[in-house]
Amino acid sequence: MKRGKGNRGQKSTYSSKAVGRLTIFLPKNRKGTILIENVIFIILNLVYLSILVLFLLKQGSGAIVLEQSYAKNIALLIDSSKPVMEMKLNMEDAMKLAEKNGIAKEDIVKINGNIVKVKLSAKGGYEYSFFNKVDVTVYPDVSPDKNYIIKINGYK
Amino acid sequence: MGINKMLMRNKRGDKILSIYWFAILVLVAGGIFGMVYVFYGTPYDVREIEARVLMNQIADCISYAGRINTDLISDSQTTQKSGEDFLKDCHLNFKSSEWEDEQYYTEIDFYKLEDMDNAVLSINAGDNKWLSSCGLQEDKEQRNLPQCVRDSFYSLDNADNQYIIKILAVVRKTEKNVKL
Repeated sequence: MKRGKGNRGQKSTYSSKAVGRLTIFLPKNRKGTILIENVIFIILNLVYLSILVLFLLKQGSGAIVLEQSYAKNIALLIDSSKPVMEMKLNMEDAMKLAEKNGIAKEDIVKINGNIVKVKLSAKGGYEYSFFNKVDVTVYPDVSPDKNYIIKINGYK
Repeated sequence: MGINKMLMRNKRGDKILSIYWFAILVLVAGGIFGMVYVFYGTPYDVREIEARVLMNQIADCISYAGRINTDLISDSQTTQKSGEDFLKDCHLNFKSSEWEDEQYYTEIDFYKLEDMDNAVLSINAGDNKWLSSCGLQEDKEQRNLPQCVRDSFYSLDNADNQYIIKILAVVRKTEKNVKL
């Protein structure tokens, strides 16, 4: 007869006395085993689920997704704008992410010709072009510092 | 002895069950990773909105407060404009260093209410090779092809003649809006 976990692979026999004792103490032992096993099982399941949830949350607020969404958003705002308009865009989550990745607030949104570039990480950056022939200035708002200002100065 | 045999059998069952449980966890995690990859890997498709914004800008340019721009129609007299002149007058720029070809196309047709078959003035601008995709999408929408938006509105010229203006706006930018 094989022994339990402790002596895996080693062959040994229990005396009839020991078997008797095992039978006597079995109900107590079984209760203890069930409780510990279940607790470990539940903890492992919770760890597994929390890893999945964290993964989903991280993916949703990732730099690649935000860069694309803000670049397209700003390009569409510029496309639908008219001269002398001033728009405020809440970019709180993007600013937090940029700060975490060491990107200065002023460098998050850049406009080069008719292309909007949003950069939230050192390696990344997403570009999207607009068709409205306007002169645009973009800069972060001072107070509250979660907004970005898009100012349409006039037609080019 | 009998109890120990039962214990052994239970242990083996537990092991088999835990392998299956582990396999299920891997499958679920794999499924979620796959779904997330597909969902977030697909770009946001904003071409239809972009085409509508383009159409609105064109509409504002050719007719303001219900009156047709006198540079285009004045006292029933039409002035034909080239695509480039039209884009310049409407402050639009279809060229971009991001793309080799122009990614937009627009067609504007002015009809008199009395004759809806013949346009009195037609203007088109942009790259007309994207126009062919509009016909292909009439039955079923194909995301890989340029997106087309059509609309029309009513306006008057300065002599109170009535017109129906039909606008078609096409936006390509497929690589930036669709996962190929």
